[in-house]
Amino acid sequence: MDSWTGWALIVGAALVSFFSRAVFVLPGSHMRLPATAERALRYAPAAALMAIVVPDLAAAHGALSISIENPRLIAGLVAFGLAAGTRSILLTIAGGMAALILLR
Amino acid sequence: MAGIVPWGVVAGVAMVSAGLTQVQSVAMSLLVFAGSAQLAVLPLLIAKAPLWVMYATALAVNLRYVIYSAVLAPHFEHLSRPWRALLSYITVDGIFALFVGKYRPDEARAHKHWFYLGGSLVMWTGWQLASMVGIFAGALIPQSWSLEFAATLALIAVLVPLLHDRAIVCAALAAGGVALAASKWPLNLGLLAAIAVGVVVGLAVARTARLKERSG
Repeated sequence: MDSWTGWALIVGAALVSFFSRAVFVLPGSHMRLPATAERALRYAPAAALMAIVVPDLAAAHGALSISIENPRLIAGLVAFGLAAGTRSILLTIAGGMAALILLR
Repeated sequence: MAGIVPWGVVAGVAMVSAGLTQVQSVAMSLLVFAGSAQLAVLPLLIAKAPLWVMYATALAVNLRYVIYSAVLAPHFEHLSRPWRALLSYITVDGIFALFVGKYRPDEARAHKHWFYLGGSLVMWTGWQLASMVGIFAGALIPQSWSLEFAATLALIAVLVPLLHDRAIVCAALAAGGVALAASKWPLNLGLLAAIAVGVVVGLAVARTARLKERSG
């Protein structure tokens, strides 16, 4: 990756992040979010995160592998369980890494 | 607060191992200040996805902030523009939830924005320090530890608490399925298709549930 791509990503992601947070706060007018839009916006973050996580867990040596032979997949499922059970970021990361190391 | 430290360290390590220089990683941490968006775009940077796909992905992950912004706007509309810009920049999930639970929009508490700024500054400082540790200590960790996997685990840790109703769970499952099926699509467009399908499925499930409630 060249340094230009890195900076373009940083500046673009910074603008996107600032404007998502500022879009209603900064104008200070009495603009309100329509109820339909608010409903649609509820689903995008969870959908986006899941769409990143799932192929990443299924990846094994450049191919997809949905089987108990794939340590990343099992470690990911352990992490899902820990996140649901404990709501702790630290335990989720530590438990998932421990599972990956043990399974390999 | 306890969660922000491992999360920041992982983000710091992930930025450097994705190929950003230490200066770029520090700049990203300070300017973007959105952990899940940062971690979401890094695999795309490694995969050499086009910039607009990375921007669209960051936007999708950040859309929850648009909802926060709409909720916060009436609280802060009496403040000056620099204040509103600062409070926008520093918005994080935890303090937003705390603030909205504590104050009503019409409540004329003169100092409620100080509460918001103070809480957010604590989170900001913790996040930045943890990121710096990851950025500067991450280079010392051997590649064989697969620390890049920790970034995926960190995303799981922020994803799970979002799954608080059936429509969101269905949206996420649909998005995961489409992302898997479309993972070989060029330019990582499968990711954007997965998000779009997820949103449509979420809306459809919620609509069905509402109709059932009305008829039952």
